Amino acid sequence: MRRLLLVLGNDVRRHLKSPLAIVIFLAIPMVMTALIGIIFAPRTEGPDLPPIRVLLVDNDKGLASKLFLGSFDVDQMKKMFQVTVTDEAEGGRRMEKGQASAMIIIPERFTLDLLEARTTTLTVVKNPAEQFLPDIAEEFLNTMAVMLSGVVQAFPDEARGIRALIDAPVGAIPWDKLGPELGRAQKKMVAAEKVLNPLLLGLKQEETKALGAKTRFTQRDLFSLLLPGMAIMFLLFVVQTIMRDIISEREDGTLRRMMTTPLRPLELVGARLVGGWVMGMAVLLVMVAFGTLIFRARWGNFAYFLALGAAASFWAAAFFGLFHALVRNRNQAGALSAPIILAFSLFGGSMMNPEAMPKAFRAVGIATPNRWFIDGAALVRDGTFPAESLLVLVGTGLILAALAIPALRRKTFI
Amino acid sequence: MRKLERILHVAWNDLRIMVGDKVFFFWTLVFPLLFIVLFGLLFKASDNAPAVAELTVVNRDEGRWGAYFLGKIESPTVELKVVANEPAEYSRLIVLPADFSAKIEAKKDQALTFKKREDASTKAAARVETRLYQAIARVLSEIVLYGDGDLSKFLDGHPEFRDLVQVKTRFPENTVTVVPSGFDHSIPGTTIQFIMMMVIIYGGITVMEDRKKGVLSRMLFSPLSKGEVFQAKLLGRWFMGLVQALILFVVGKIFFKLNLGSVPLSLLVIAVFSLAMAALSVFIGSLCRKEDLIIGLAVLLANIFAGLGGCWWPSEIVPPGVRTAAMISPAYWAMDALHKLRFFQGGFGDIFLNLGVLAALAVVLGAVASRTFKIRD
Repeated sequence: MRRLLLVLGNDVRRHLKSPLAIVIFLAIPMVMTALIGIIFAPRTEGPDLPPIRVLLVDNDKGLASKLFLGSFDVDQMKKMFQVTVTDEAEGGRRMEKGQASAMIIIPERFTLDLLEARTTTLTVVKNPAEQFLPDIAEEFLNTMAVMLSGVVQAFPDEARGIRALIDAPVGAIPWDKLGPELGRAQKKMVAAEKVLNPLLLGLKQEETKALGAKTRFTQRDLFSLLLPGMAIMFLLFVVQTIMRDIISEREDGTLRRMMTTPLRPLELVGARLVGGWVMGMAVLLVMVAFGTLIFRARWGNFAYFLALGAAASFWAAAFFGLFHALVRNRNQAGALSAPIILAFSLFGGSMMNPEAMPKAFRAVGIATPNRWFIDGAALVRDGTFPAESLLVLVGTGLILAALAIPALRRKTFI
Repeated sequence: MRKLERILHVAWNDLRIMVGDKVFFFWTLVFPLLFIVLFGLLFKASDNAPAVAELTVVNRDEGRWGAYFLGKIESPTVELKVVANEPAEYSRLIVLPADFSAKIEAKKDQALTFKKREDASTKAAARVETRLYQAIARVLSEIVLYGDGDLSKFLDGHPEFRDLVQVKTRFPENTVTVVPSGFDHSIPGTTIQFIMMMVIIYGGITVMEDRKKGVLSRMLFSPLSKGEVFQAKLLGRWFMGLVQALILFVVGKIFFKLNLGSVPLSLLVIAVFSLAMAALSVFIGSLCRKEDLIIGLAVLLANIFAGLGGCWWPSEIVPPGVRTAAMISPAYWAMDALHKLRFFQGGFGDIFLNLGVLAALAVVLGAVASRTFKIRD
């Protein structure tokens, strides 16, 4: 046991002497979390999406088109849309270069057609390279279209009156007879106000997780969601780097020299596995510390999380112990380990929320440590003991260790 | 001429060794394909599906207005699922309270509860939400049009709403004519990301190993000079990037009907981008002495460049500040050029700036790599 601890201590000191690779593997999850967090974090002010660049072409230049343009001047709309009024040729040229998300074209005679209660068509030209923002502009336009149709139909007499006024010379307008007309319009306006202010019918939105469980998703929540996935992915990278000593020492001749000492093969194998486990735990704790300090990530009950981290590190050490016992040389280990870790991470949900994945990907993900760690971390965050994740990670870890120990012992034979 | 032949011979040999390695197929084909399928399906889902967005309705209304309002929501793109009680599983749900009709008839304002599951399709939720607002606008317009009359008799006879203003959508002229598929978005992004990963990792490690094992020193016994060895290594890594891109584009074309716009110009973009990455891989390989360090640096750089450059998510949803910062990523210039070619049927003039930036980067990285290139530690 004393010899095992000596080898372990020596390994830890050796890795801490040239820690650049480990530092980089520690930095990657932090950088990735920061990048994703900056891009996808819910905003406390303003909309979650950047302003949508919209080009507006007014071929009508009438009352209705002016009203339509005015609707973009409301504060909420100003935050959502960045509108540039242009002509059709210039707008078309800019759209062909992808310089806006959408271009809205108001046709000629738009006002006159509306006032005459005729059907008219607004055109929205969408940027083909964008996938979300043009659709938002289109949906907004659809809603505006309904509202404009509604206004014209709610005030048909007034619309006809305005239509007559547009063409008539000032001298021909019977100003003295407009009084009663305006009075009727006023009555309608008062009646409409009862329906529209406040709105007789409105929407109250809620975002839900499960029946009755409301969620308000914050930037901190996003970081808390991302970090476990990143942490397990780079924990695997770090542990495989440490476990690669098994094969490096054999190729470098260090193992041959070590075996001339009273050190028993089992002690050496034990030291390597425990070393991978301990270093994995240490790295995970550093990630947790950084995640808490930099991103204010929530981990839940620390004891539960520590148990989960210990299980995941043990699994990683056992897996890479077996892996390095099976590969032929250092090159093969280097070439295969990164693809394996990346495949685990892709299927296991480190790179993407498993809920968003196709079913087949999710099914494969169950066979990865990433999935069990991420699921377990989510439970811990919600205050639940991750019994199932622990059971799977420890159980499969023990099987892997049982296979790894004899295989690694054989590797120590010179 | 002999000099060029010697350089090409070494570069070709590097490529041959790489292609002979089984892991090469993981990096160039298997893993990128997994990414393409995953992201392609995700983009596809957000483009087209669900074609019909479902809305669960809990209709507790004791009057007639509830059914009338639901009729206004119905459309070919929104499917209503009316239930008596709030179910445990739903994507979007609206509740019509028992006094829904009574409140309308009494002209008392009310707000309907609309619940969205956070993990359900955002696009479907937006579609349903818009439809709900439109239905509300329609009903309110009809009520205004009805005037001061008794609203309890409204449903016995009232003026119908007409969609006087209609909306037509199209793409800009001289661009695409059909909606681009999810794979048109995911294949270029994945290709760019994996050129970075594969060329830097594989190219960097082999430069380091050739140096450590003395392969580079032994090459100097041949008629090759140090400069020629450097050029050969650079060329070999450039070939790696090109081969990777060609494989993914061919697979994309055969299995996913990938449309690149102008194929020669797309390949030119990839060629210049790969050259820059080849120079970076030689630089990193010359600088680092440990394989893990190269893998770590490659994963770090490739992920940052890919994330910033728009390989993973559409750059339109990125905050303006990040979009500006993205210009430091070579992936941004490559992706922007590929988008111009694919989605806007761009020509050489349209991607000239992109090519210029990538070429300048290749020259700078190449110069730095040639200065740091070592034959032995």
